[in-house]
Amino acid sequence: MRGTGTALSKLGTAAKYMILIGTAVLLVFPFVWMIDASLMTSGEIQSRPPVWLPKSPQFSNYPELLDNLPLGRFYLNSLIVTGATVIGVLFTSSLAGYAFAKYQFPGRVILFYMILATLMIPTFVTLIPVFYIVRQLGWIDSYAGLILPGISSAYGIFFMRQFIYSIPDELIDAARIDGATELRIYWRIVLPLTKPALATLGTFVFIGSWNSFLWPLLVVNSRELYTVPLGLNSLRTFAAEARSLHLLVSGTVLSVIPTLILFVFLQRYFIQGIALSGLKG
Amino acid sequence: MHLTMPRSWPKTGLMRRRMFWAYAFVAIPVLWLVVFSLGPILFSGWVSLHQWNMLTPVRDMPYVGLENYEYIFTRDRVFPLALKNTFKFAIGGVSINVVLGLAFALLLNSKIKGRTVWRVLYFLPVITSPIALAVIFAFMFNRNYGLLNSLLVMVGLPRQGFLNDPNQALYVLIAIAVYQYLGYYIVIYLAGLQGIPQDYYDAARVDGANSWQAFWHITLPLLRPVTLFVIVTNSIGALQVFDLVFATTGGAPANSTMTIVLHMYNTAFKFSRMGRASAMAFTLFAIILFITIVQLRLLRDRTYED
Repeated sequence: MRGTGTALSKLGTAAKYMILIGTAVLLVFPFVWMIDASLMTSGEIQSRPPVWLPKSPQFSNYPELLDNLPLGRFYLNSLIVTGATVIGVLFTSSLAGYAFAKYQFPGRVILFYMILATLMIPTFVTLIPVFYIVRQLGWIDSYAGLILPGISSAYGIFFMRQFIYSIPDELIDAARIDGATELRIYWRIVLPLTKPALATLGTFVFIGSWNSFLWPLLVVNSRELYTVPLGLNSLRTFAAEARSLHLLVSGTVLSVIPTLILFVFLQRYFIQGIALSGLKG
Repeated sequence: MHLTMPRSWPKTGLMRRRMFWAYAFVAIPVLWLVVFSLGPILFSGWVSLHQWNMLTPVRDMPYVGLENYEYIFTRDRVFPLALKNTFKFAIGGVSINVVLGLAFALLLNSKIKGRTVWRVLYFLPVITSPIALAVIFAFMFNRNYGLLNSLLVMVGLPRQGFLNDPNQALYVLIAIAVYQYLGYYIVIYLAGLQGIPQDYYDAARVDGANSWQAFWHITLPLLRPVTLFVIVTNSIGALQVFDLVFATTGGAPANSTMTIVLHMYNTAFKFSRMGRASAMAFTLFAIILFITIVQLRLLRDRTYED
């Protein structure tokens, strides 16, 4: 009896790993194929039956891509927009979150409920009015238009408030007795203590902003301001017209790799943050 | 939440100065949310009752009452289709994510080597830009040279149209969306599973329950809030799908993959019909609000049960 039991459980373990490995292969395959195909000629990509490995790896695809597409510029734009958005959201969220968690002031409850209500507003409902407002402000086709509407986040304020609430009041009071100003307490005590929450929120905002597509598509006209997803989208139409699919694939590789690398380093914050948000919900 | 009001507001100078700082801290974030979120939603509702092309001044918009709503539901040929497609897309994706998300979380929660590595691998598509995934999958599902068709031919099956076939395109998009977000729901379910105390299972085993009974009577009921969260966040996200459709089919073939937000985008920014587009946005907003309220209700019922 005992023998069959272990044999069965061994079989079960084997099946488990088979499923996990099979799924992982399935999930990673498109990425591997993409890198593989980025070294093929346009003809090899479209060949029937498919070519699995390029006859001779076309490393020249990458320089050719960079000659046709100012990808460096798109990267710079994405870095500026994403960097400013992350800093803006972390700053406004931690400031407001601190005020809501640790201060008493008239209107606090109403303002906080207002922020909770804002949480439920999907971006597409406000797309037309925000576009109109941004146009009235003269921010169309500018970094301001790309960045400024997104530097305050209801979710971020809520997230930071929940975290800062758990910081002991004694720490803040002690600093006050020592004569620290309110701004100094925020900067020297609250911010350092919220580093894990800032890291989690920061990674979320980073990925959201880096991959954001619909808003940049609306607000940007000139190619000098394209972010990476906009650049990839324009490459899509260009490659179809110019019959240069190899450039489209190598462009996709270059657009994806940085986020993948960043994720591998920061995955801890991600998974923690998601686990937290899931349990709270 | 701890939002109790103190009986009286502080009168001393020191307290007053603190209050001043609190207002200074919340001023910009709150002002921003009013200008770029709360105000716009009211404005959006207002525009949905008017005819507007965004060029005429706001105060000159002709008021048309509910005509825009009447139009999109009765005369617009595409909107009902977009509504149906979007719901199909959301329901298909959500049901697969709930079942597979839980199944894989259970697998990863059992004694398994290299849990972090699995999690990272399963999570890769989640952080990848939808536009990039759309490009890759457009290659994979290509009617002429795509790998999937080559695979079908290899095993002796006929080629499929996939994204070019009005009967298949939406299902292909569901598959791509599941590919992208499954890892996210696995991680959420995994966190939920790890929150269930081991004692419950030990007690069940003492009472002679087998692992199937333990799953059915302990795991599933205790995961109810997590499942609710997965269903609601996934529905809300899927109902707003835009990037994936825009960069694969653009709503084609024959509008079989046209979604609400894509149709709204076209109506507003290609045809300058801001009133109609706002009516679409508001309709979808009402649906999403309804789902959110149902979720809050269900969660509250649960706390009463406990």
